[in-house]
Amino acid sequence: MRMKIVITLAAVVLMFAAKTSAHHAFAAEFDSNKPIKLRGTVVKMEWINPHTWIHLDVKTPKGTVERWMIEGGPPNALYRRGVTKDSLPNGVEILVEGFRAKDGSLRGNGRDLTFADGRRLFVGSSGTGAPRDGRDKTEK
Amino acid sequence: MAIRSGVAIASLAVAGLMALPACGPPSSTAASSTTPRTAWGHPDLQGVWRYEGAIPLERPEQFAGRASLTEKEVAERRQLEQEQAAKRLAGQEGAAVGRRSVAESPIRGNEYNSFWQDHGRPRQVSSRTSLIVDPSDGRLPFTADARKAEARASARYGVGPYESYLDPDTGERCLTDGVTGMMWQGPNGGHNRIVQSPGYVTILHEEYRDRRVIPVDGRPHKNIRQWFGDAVGRWEGDTLVVDTTNFIDRTNYEWANIWTRPSESLHLVERFKRIDANTMEYTITVEDPTTFTRPWTAVIPISKLSGDTQIYEYACHEGNYAMPNLLRGGRTDAARAASSR
Repeated sequence: MRMKIVITLAAVVLMFAAKTSAHHAFAAEFDSNKPIKLRGTVVKMEWINPHTWIHLDVKTPKGTVERWMIEGGPPNALYRRGVTKDSLPNGVEILVEGFRAKDGSLRGNGRDLTFADGRRLFVGSSGTGAPRDGRDKTEK
Repeated sequence: MAIRSGVAIASLAVAGLMALPACGPPSSTAASSTTPRTAWGHPDLQGVWRYEGAIPLERPEQFAGRASLTEKEVAERRQLEQEQAAKRLAGQEGAAVGRRSVAESPIRGNEYNSFWQDHGRPRQVSSRTSLIVDPSDGRLPFTADARKAEARASARYGVGPYESYLDPDTGERCLTDGVTGMMWQGPNGGHNRIVQSPGYVTILHEEYRDRRVIPVDGRPHKNIRQWFGDAVGRWEGDTLVVDTTNFIDRTNYEWANIWTRPSESLHLVERFKRIDANTMEYTITVEDPTTFTRPWTAVIPISKLSGDTQIYEYACHEGNYAMPNLLRGGRTDAARAASSR
């Protein structure tokens, strides 16, 4: 019953949501039927408008290295949420989950980012400077 | 850091909104001795402002005939907004980016973890069911042709077809999302800084680096047509009234929302009035026979953000990989369609 109420309310909230103004056309750019899960090393993060892009070296099962580009959020929004250049330094290993570019190139959007030690980026750990949510036991 | 207590803001805003009539034009001419003043004696509107409300522009069909929600509905929505904001902060829920409807998205709108977006605070809940107060049904009074154009814009939003750089909407092209929504909308946050000087009010909008320098010295309209028209301001009591005409016709461009598009017949009147320390009542009256059968008015409560809130650059084409990516996506779709024939 509780779940039903929540779902109904969620539908109401969605109905209240205005059509998102432009920026940008996910469905035209990425393929939601092509989910990707990449483990790689950050080569660089471009803090550019209108979206950040993370460049990532990913080792393939054959031993070769592919360089991927992963789209992140707008730099202004990320900075307001406490993400800085120190949050994703070059050389750090991350796991990226997202969706591949429609044309099959080595590009995708980033939905979830996880560090090698299991911390998820942007979930409020003290290491990111993101808002604290009590999940990080080391957080003072 | 812009993040602060959304609950406190919501309480202030709701208190302010409860003082508003459910319908009808705003009471914009009443002077208030509590309105702060600039050094030269004008009402002081300066600061960074953002719409953080959950009231939609148009009244959803399910609330047809109702300008207000019940207390119970307000309480339920407030709780849900707070729960959703907490989930967003924890990275557990996607933002609305890229989603046109839940039904058509196999990943339920979660293409982006919402932490990528500036949507951390709970939105302010009010009893109002639409920002539009006139017409009384809370709906945009589109002409028949404009209604078809809006349906077309909605159908192609986010999916194209994209065969040329002219096919994305004006926002995706890094041009603008239009002046009508500038004060209260923005794909990445909708922050606006208002700066005043004797004779001028300047508004800097973060997205697309949109800006308006509005004279308030009594000069008449000029006759040069522009995307943002020709704005002249005046003070009516504590209310800034901005009258804008001389828009250029860009109705042939693709707009995410066609009610924001400029045409030569557009006449926009905006009223800015502080109603408490942290809230501005922003009212727009839009008259444009090219798109609407009659003028319409929306009353929008806008929040003042903390004094250290920054407006950042937006050099929109600097890294607009989206443009080549979506054109490539369009070609991929076209090739796939050709090979399946």
